[in-house]
Amino acid sequence: MPESALDGLTIIEYNRTGGAAYATKLMADLGAEVIKVEPLTGDPDRCLGPFPGGEPHPEKSGTFLYLNCNKQSVMLDITNHTGRQVLDSLLRDADVFIHDIPPAEAEALGLSDKQVRAGKDRLVTTFISPFGESGPHRDWKAYDLTTLSAGGWTWLNGWPGHPEMPPLRPFGRQSAYQAGVNAALATMGALLARLRTGRGQHVEVSAQECITAILEMTFAFWPYMNAPTARWGQRPIHPIDFFQCKDGGWIFVLCVEEHQWQRLVELMETPEWTQWEVAANRFVRASNWDALRPFMEEWVSQWTTDDLYKAAQAKRIPFAPASTLSQLLDSEHLKARGFFVEIAYPQAGTIKQPGAPFKMSETPWEIRTPAPTLGQHNETILGERLGLSGDEIKSLNGARVG
Amino acid sequence: MPGPLEGIRVADFTWVWAGPTCTMQLAHMGAEVIRMESMRRVCTLRMLPPWPDGQPGVNRSGYFNQYNQGKRSIQLDISKPEGAEMAKQIVAMSDVAVENFASNVIDRLGLGYEELCKVKPDLIMISMSGYGRGGPESGYVSYGPAQVPLSGMSQLTGYSGWQPMHVGMSYGDPNAGLHAAFAVLSALFYRARTGKGQYIDMSQQESTMAVLGEGFMEYGMNGAQPPRSGNRVAHMAPHGVFMCAGEDRWLSIACATDDEWRALCGVMERPDLAGDARFRTLADRKANEDDLETEIMSWTLTQEPFEASERLQAAGVAASPPFMNRELAEDPHLSERGFFVEKEHPEVGVRQHAGIPWRMSETPCEVWRAAPIMGQDNDYVFGELLGLSSGQIEDLKARQVVY
Repeated sequence: MPESALDGLTIIEYNRTGGAAYATKLMADLGAEVIKVEPLTGDPDRCLGPFPGGEPHPEKSGTFLYLNCNKQSVMLDITNHTGRQVLDSLLRDADVFIHDIPPAEAEALGLSDKQVRAGKDRLVTTFISPFGESGPHRDWKAYDLTTLSAGGWTWLNGWPGHPEMPPLRPFGRQSAYQAGVNAALATMGALLARLRTGRGQHVEVSAQECITAILEMTFAFWPYMNAPTARWGQRPIHPIDFFQCKDGGWIFVLCVEEHQWQRLVELMETPEWTQWEVAANRFVRASNWDALRPFMEEWVSQWTTDDLYKAAQAKRIPFAPASTLSQLLDSEHLKARGFFVEIAYPQAGTIKQPGAPFKMSETPWEIRTPAPTLGQHNETILGERLGLSGDEIKSLNGARVG
Repeated sequence: MPGPLEGIRVADFTWVWAGPTCTMQLAHMGAEVIRMESMRRVCTLRMLPPWPDGQPGVNRSGYFNQYNQGKRSIQLDISKPEGAEMAKQIVAMSDVAVENFASNVIDRLGLGYEELCKVKPDLIMISMSGYGRGGPESGYVSYGPAQVPLSGMSQLTGYSGWQPMHVGMSYGDPNAGLHAAFAVLSALFYRARTGKGQYIDMSQQESTMAVLGEGFMEYGMNGAQPPRSGNRVAHMAPHGVFMCAGEDRWLSIACATDDEWRALCGVMERPDLAGDARFRTLADRKANEDDLETEIMSWTLTQEPFEASERLQAAGVAASPPFMNRELAEDPHLSERGFFVEKEHPEVGVRQHAGIPWRMSETPCEVWRAAPIMGQDNDYVFGELLGLSSGQIEDLKARQVVY
């Protein structure tokens, strides 16, 4: 009887951008065995940081540590013939191979689907690339920022009324997270299909498309109304805006439904401006927001952030504070839910980090082991599992020097 | 309906954006998704633009039609006991139930997990509330736009020295929807091997924090809130979105290596910059990033962004204009890949929609039908699936249980 949702699955991962690593993190945290194949220089995320004290160290990169708990690491030069053969042996016993190497380079490395899956009928190959495996931009180079731009996200983010300020990235490598979660769910689809057909298949994921698929209503404004999008998306209804409270904190003032606005008007004690025609409904408030905004600003500035948040929520108005990380880590709500997990990393120390993105009643989400050090599992995987001798493993690693 | 989830049925209680994003992924994979829609509380998305010709209508919203592709719709008032009973019958014939009401609303309707398990013991059910079930704020109300500030993302996003910012869309919603779909598929995989269903509690606040890992790691390591830094990052320079010729035209450029930087200098025809000691290594470029960006902008201001990105890409430099909706719609790359979906819709005709960001080689995923108009599948579900006679349906209509 499996003890976790993905118990018994073996996944081989080769990560470049964080997309492959996030996909396999989602699966590892539900019990899949994930073996990271790292080049002799290590997964590039080991160089990314953030680092304690800002001092780079391959075993202390926050991005790497966060994405790689519950995984094992073997060091393998897959550009060399022996290394590549070892990878093939790993893949023969695996259920899934996930990488995010761009198509042209994957082909040159012998890691395209055709080259990998031949003779391995049950293997699912899931490959993430910035622009997918076909089309005129297939071989365009991309990093997170340019992928977010090509997908249409950065265009939406910025400051309306400040045309001199550039389109803006959101915090974090969101194109990698999105490609990762899409890759994970598509991989699960392929594994469910395999239960029926007995056969694996190839899944390709385009990071650009992952972004274009989630642009709220903004994409549809073109095919439906021939209307181009503006910075901060389309906000056809109001209020949806930030205001500063008297303690310096920021509150997000939001009324989606008309009944929420009515309760906000009550909370404000029905000031005259809320009865004007230009405030009559959510659409006209949006058209007249520049004129109405100062009234709201004045009212908010009399509150502390927390008081206003609680007062609004008591009336079921969906306000939210702009939380700082320390406020979240101290949140009584999140403590009661047990959201954050404390992980002791052998070299980077103990860190409190985000836990389960969802809680399953029958199968645990859990961190069983901290992120692996580079090549930590060479002996158990390459030696015990594949039967390579100590000398053979050494000579694989020796390729680094030679 | 081919696809990896052929034969799976989903009882879809969702509305607005987060829940529908989850069930759309399942529809993309071939599951039969049945939306139960209330006429008394019409889905928010049906009431929001864009609408063709600017004319509102519950079946005309591009927002709704984008995120409900490939689903069925029935009009059923689940707040009436008979309606809830019919919803249970649909659940009994389904594998998965999905809801994203505020916490506990589904229990008040008598459609909580325990009740539904009585009619479908191996049910997989997911609740996607703003704050999750349990915890002192679990009764709070939330919508996607508020999840961006609530989760900490706004304090981390913004121009250097400016106030916290939004991220341009209600990111908490689709991000929760995609994570929820992954959770449901994992639960289906477990059920296939054990026969057991389960209940999944998702807090959108928590699923949003899950994609801010690097921020929490920095805080955990160094005890400080990472400052807002515009488009800049520690590990690349240049890394920015630069103003181009024309009105509101921009180009994003990112260089991770010194080679890429020199290639950029080549395209800019600035060999002097390639040799400039201020910019030789990443550390140099980070130390002199203001100067670096000024130099690059003096070039981009003379450039058309799409043309410039073609030349930069040919030289091996990662560059792309920030695409706006029209540029995405007209992008030859996305079109050639068959990304867009254009299916006939009874009221808005053929419109372009964003499609499925993954391709499967053996069990192809596709949008089989445009988003449903209200109640498009009443006959199929009430008649064929539930086996009601036309007389019974008329009777239910008269009492406004169905419409």
